[in-house]
Amino acid sequence: MIGLIPEQNLFRQMERYEPMGEYLSRKTGAKIAFKVLPRYGNIIDNFKSSKLDGAFFGSFTYVLAHAKAGVEVLARPVAPDNTSTYHGMIFVRKDSGIRTAGDMRGKRFAFVDKATTAGYLLPLEYFHHHGISDYDHFLKEAYFTGTHEDAIYDVLNRKADIGAAKNTVFQRLASVDPRIRQELVVLERSPDVPENALALRKDIDVSVRNLLKESLLSMHLDPGGRKVLERFGALKFIETTNRDYNVVLKYAEDLHLDLSTYEYMNN
Amino acid sequence: MKRKIAIGLAVYSVVFLLAGVYVIRTIRNATTNLDRLITLHQVEILREHFLLQIKKVQADLMLKGTPYSRSFDSVVMHVMGMGRLIDTCFGCHHSPRGMERLNGLKRQTDKYKDALSRVLTVRAETSRLAAEKDAAFRTGEELIEQVGDVIAFTTSRLGENTQKAMSEIEHTKYILYVLVALGPLLSAVLGFVFISGLTRPVKVLVESTRKLKGGDLDHRIEGLKDEFGEVAASFNEMAGSLKEQIQKMQRTEQMVVVGELAAGLAHEIKNPMAGIKVAMSVLSGEAYILPEDKAVLQKVVAEITQLEGLMKDFLNFAKPQKPRLEPVNVNQMLHTTLTFHLKHQAVGSGGSGKIEIVRKFGELPTILADPTKLQRVFLNLFLNALHAMPRGGELGVRTWLDADGKTIRVEVSDTGSGIREDLIDKVFQPFFTTKPKGTGLGLAISRQMIEQHDGAIAVANRPGGGALFTILLPVEAEGSAA
Repeated sequence: MIGLIPEQNLFRQMERYEPMGEYLSRKTGAKIAFKVLPRYGNIIDNFKSSKLDGAFFGSFTYVLAHAKAGVEVLARPVAPDNTSTYHGMIFVRKDSGIRTAGDMRGKRFAFVDKATTAGYLLPLEYFHHHGISDYDHFLKEAYFTGTHEDAIYDVLNRKADIGAAKNTVFQRLASVDPRIRQELVVLERSPDVPENALALRKDIDVSVRNLLKESLLSMHLDPGGRKVLERFGALKFIETTNRDYNVVLKYAEDLHLDLSTYEYMNN
Repeated sequence: MKRKIAIGLAVYSVVFLLAGVYVIRTIRNATTNLDRLITLHQVEILREHFLLQIKKVQADLMLKGTPYSRSFDSVVMHVMGMGRLIDTCFGCHHSPRGMERLNGLKRQTDKYKDALSRVLTVRAETSRLAAEKDAAFRTGEELIEQVGDVIAFTTSRLGENTQKAMSEIEHTKYILYVLVALGPLLSAVLGFVFISGLTRPVKVLVESTRKLKGGDLDHRIEGLKDEFGEVAASFNEMAGSLKEQIQKMQRTEQMVVVGELAAGLAHEIKNPMAGIKVAMSVLSGEAYILPEDKAVLQKVVAEITQLEGLMKDFLNFAKPQKPRLEPVNVNQMLHTTLTFHLKHQAVGSGGSGKIEIVRKFGELPTILADPTKLQRVFLNLFLNALHAMPRGGELGVRTWLDADGKTIRVEVSDTGSGIREDLIDKVFQPFFTTKPKGTGLGLAISRQMIEQHDGAIAVANRPGGGALFTILLPVEAEGSAA
């Protein structure tokens, strides 16, 4: 059972990953099913309770899961624009008048989840950088949409004044909804971090781990695999190691976050 | 008959083929209608299922945050199931209007899923959470309303389609009943027609054979066609031939009687008559015989001469001599007979009117015939024609060769009063005559002579008046002429 973080609309997320599950089941001979979870942090809990064998983690979620549950990363997708990283963005409506951290006082902020780089660490770093230590009191309202998609739409639809989300989701939505580029403006961005990657529980059998890894890394060489990748929105999968997450570790370190004790669940 | 049987079988086959095709078509239409109905009902069930699924998700939504809330996984499963159901609808064929409604439902479903996803993932203040939940619920209610509208619309359409399909199936049922009833009936009728077509001609032939056997030689079969018509024609030909042969036998018997009679007469009368004639001739030459007595004696001699001619004819008819064949040009013979012999013989015919002779001679080959006999036949016919036209008229003589080149035809016609229809069959019988002084042997002898040449002679009345004799002579004679 592979867990999925609610990167986008829960149901679209499931629909996006289902063909890949069928493909990997055929290739590995193991029944591979996906389970979408309502919160990023739930994934870590599920690993702790051994309900999940693996999951597609966001960069910060992986760093947390690795620290708390010892999961090991295998591979991540390369996007059609040949990138395998993403970055976080803080954005507002163009007509909101908000351009600086000071303008954000008394406004409503739509985070994604406490366990996300783009949807939480970036604004946390942004506030830290601008000397705002307690955003709860600085802002009128801070809440967690749970998905990057909803954070973007909440700002676009004036449900929130400021939002933070992944650029990849931002670009995907902007390609089908031109209002996003026309009406939103990006104020800040984070460093590039690895795209959501598949990591497995540390006690998974090595042969299964290797078979799964090999299947993912050779998907683009197989016509059936290419079709699945096309629907998924990727060119191929590339090998990923803990070293790829150094940038996230550095980001957390700058924020003085203790990953072993970090409270990842949203309020 | 073969053609009729073939046509009949073809008609029979075509009728059954058409009936079979019709039955198959109607059954196919009925099954198609049933399939369509089943599909429509399945779609109806699908819509109802979809509606139930939405209501289930709405219930999940309402229960969220309460002690009775369902697990996150169950809710996700319900929503995914709802999404799959609407996607299933796109797998069916829809009219443009139906597709428009379906797209509307799909859009509303996606909107509902977005709202549900938000409710499931958002973490915020109670008021925001409540607002999200309320928005999702309202979206769900709108979706239920839309689905309800679609169901109401399609239910009415389904009712109409069901009514229509059932009506068509009922119609098909009646058609099949009729065909099942008509099939054997049609078979029986066609069978009766075919059997009648075979048995009726056979019955006619059997009855005709019985009549022929009973002596009715004039009975002829009429009204039969095809192969039976050919059999009937052969039967009629056989009956005609039989009658002719019987008549010939009767004539032969007559001839035997006449021959014996002639021989007796020749012996008993001819010699005494010759003596009387010589005596009368000598007596009339005596000087003491008064002139008025001489006239009487000469009259007696003339009568005896005529009697001798009659006896000669009688003997010729009774014991005909074999024809002495030699090459004869028929046209030349006709011409000579008309030009010389007829004039000579016609002097005493007694007619006062003008006779116009019309010759139409075609090109003829020379044939082997007895010129004396042939000339006598022609002369006899010509004299008869003159006798038939006492006030004058037209004597027509025409000759030609048949298209096959095997038969010469000679036609002799007059413009007299013709022959009474009731007597026309008897004119060739010996001793039959309509003339006051006729012997009744002229035409009988003529036929005899023509038949000696393997020919035939016939008589008929012309449509415009007068008689028409036709003689047929073979170019190469066989039988007695050989």
